Amino acid sequence: MSNLLKYMVENASIILDYASTHFSLIFSAVAISLVLWIPLGILISRNERLASIVLGIANTIFCIPSLALFSVFVTIPFFGLGRPSSLLALVLYAMMPMVINVYQGIKVVDKSVIEAAKGMGMNSRRILREIQLPLAAPVMFAGIRITVVMATGIAAIAAYIGERNLGRLITEGLTRYHVEMILSGAILIPLIAILFDTVLGAVERMLVPKGLKVSRSK
Amino acid sequence: MIELHDVTKIYAGQTVPAVKNLTLKIKEGETCVFVGPSGCGKSTILRMINRMIEQTSGTILINNKDIREADPDRLRMGIGYVIQQIGLLPHRTIAENISIVPRLYGWDKERIRKRVDELLELMGLDPDETRDKFPAQLSGGQMQRVGVARAMAADPPIMLMDEPFGAVDPIVRGHLQDEFLKIQREMKKTICFVTHDINEAIKMGDTIAIFEKGQLVQHGTPQEILSKPKNEFVRTFIGTDRVVKMLTLFQVRSITKDNYSIIRENELANIRQKMDDEGAAVGILMNESAKPCGLITRDDLEKAGELNPEKIKEIACGKKDAFIDGDLLLNDALSLMLEWNCDYLGVLDGAQLIGIVSFDDIRECVRRKEGE
Repeated sequence: MSNLLKYMVENASIILDYASTHFSLIFSAVAISLVLWIPLGILISRNERLASIVLGIANTIFCIPSLALFSVFVTIPFFGLGRPSSLLALVLYAMMPMVINVYQGIKVVDKSVIEAAKGMGMNSRRILREIQLPLAAPVMFAGIRITVVMATGIAAIAAYIGERNLGRLITEGLTRYHVEMILSGAILIPLIAILFDTVLGAVERMLVPKGLKVSRSK
Repeated sequence: MIELHDVTKIYAGQTVPAVKNLTLKIKEGETCVFVGPSGCGKSTILRMINRMIEQTSGTILINNKDIREADPDRLRMGIGYVIQQIGLLPHRTIAENISIVPRLYGWDKERIRKRVDELLELMGLDPDETRDKFPAQLSGGQMQRVGVARAMAADPPIMLMDEPFGAVDPIVRGHLQDEFLKIQREMKKTICFVTHDINEAIKMGDTIAIFEKGQLVQHGTPQEILSKPKNEFVRTFIGTDRVVKMLTLFQVRSITKDNYSIIRENELANIRQKMDDEGAAVGILMNESAKPCGLITRDDLEKAGELNPEKIKEIACGKKDAFIDGDLLLNDALSLMLEWNCDYLGVLDGAQLIGIVSFDDIRECVRRKEGE
């Protein structure tokens, strides 16, 4: 234990360096995913045929082992080793949790609410903006939360294809059989994931519309 | 005015039409109730009028304009729409829910605020207490009221109501129906009202349209429907208590008569004389403060034999509750007559005696209406 702490303190600057690369990969992957997958989720909520195709693709990608997916991209000339390949893989993994949550969130909005709104003359853009998205927000955000936690873990594997992040503590540690190195990676990565999850969980609770939190007794 | 001309609706992938060759006219200011068993097409018809569903063929005119020429959203903004599940926006306050259509019309805040309070009051809800609540904080009955208020927000001349009071218990439903009838008497909106409950149809409708398997079977006033059911289907749908249902169409005061005598305590001894002189069928016993406190018929007097004032008073006071409000309906009167085993009831207007109603008069009324 004291050895582990000693290792972490002595190598603080390199660990911080790895952590910042780790964060930057997660942030860019999540940012790109938000831009791509939220609109796609909204789109497929309005077209059942498209929905089954897209959700099928997302599920299939999700089934591919991350190490395999990273390695396949490395073989593609334009991507190669490093950031482009790891980013693409993470964005593709995010498709499943994000698209499905946006889709589900919109789909589970009470049909009679939509029916009444349409019957009063609200157009579909307005119904989406004023009813479906606010009511779907908590479910959609739960998807984002899963994505961030998942990306934190999978990003570590990108160390195999040249990412200099916290995953490297594990890969390099394994090669050199350096126990303290392995352990510091194995502890820091889940710690970061838990931290993200806690913060985002608090945000998620704030996103629940007030009208859904009240009842007659209050 | 709403007119449907030869309207047919066949849903995609089906061969049997949901609505078949329907021609129907609903006059301005009239409440037309669409009634029939589930699957008879009544909701489909309603939803075609605001283009939630497009008809397969035929034309629907509102004030002589084909609804297909209008923009569907504009059309719907001009038609109040109430559904059984109400569909209040759960994340919006009651005030925001009610102001949806006014907001679509771009009313200013002050005008919307005033209208919301006005509507809440009209629907019997306290504006200060209700406006900032969320739907989840209301009871089922209150939600239905808000649903109706929301549909009336921009004062549309036409309202479409699909089982609007279907999701509440019978007692609350009765209240909501009564209140809505009162409001409608003033507003005179053109209303299409869907229900599967024939009693609700009789109560709410100026006319009733009965549907079976997508086809209009009979359209007429409740009295026409009840006195002349067109075929076996209508007869069965109305039920074997058809004539008793007809009684619900008439208020007691409409057949009230005044062949009664007022009997005070000191007149009990010569009650028969007084009733004979006044040609009365019933004596109504009055207490010191001139309130009716008992009722005695000629029959009772015959049976009593000896005219002992004490005994007469006892018989009369035994029927101290054999009175009915003139605003109530003939079926209520009949029920009270059976309850008190008495051919006559005193009719009241508040606490004031306004006459009597007899079993024979009810029978006569039915006989006459059946003949019409």
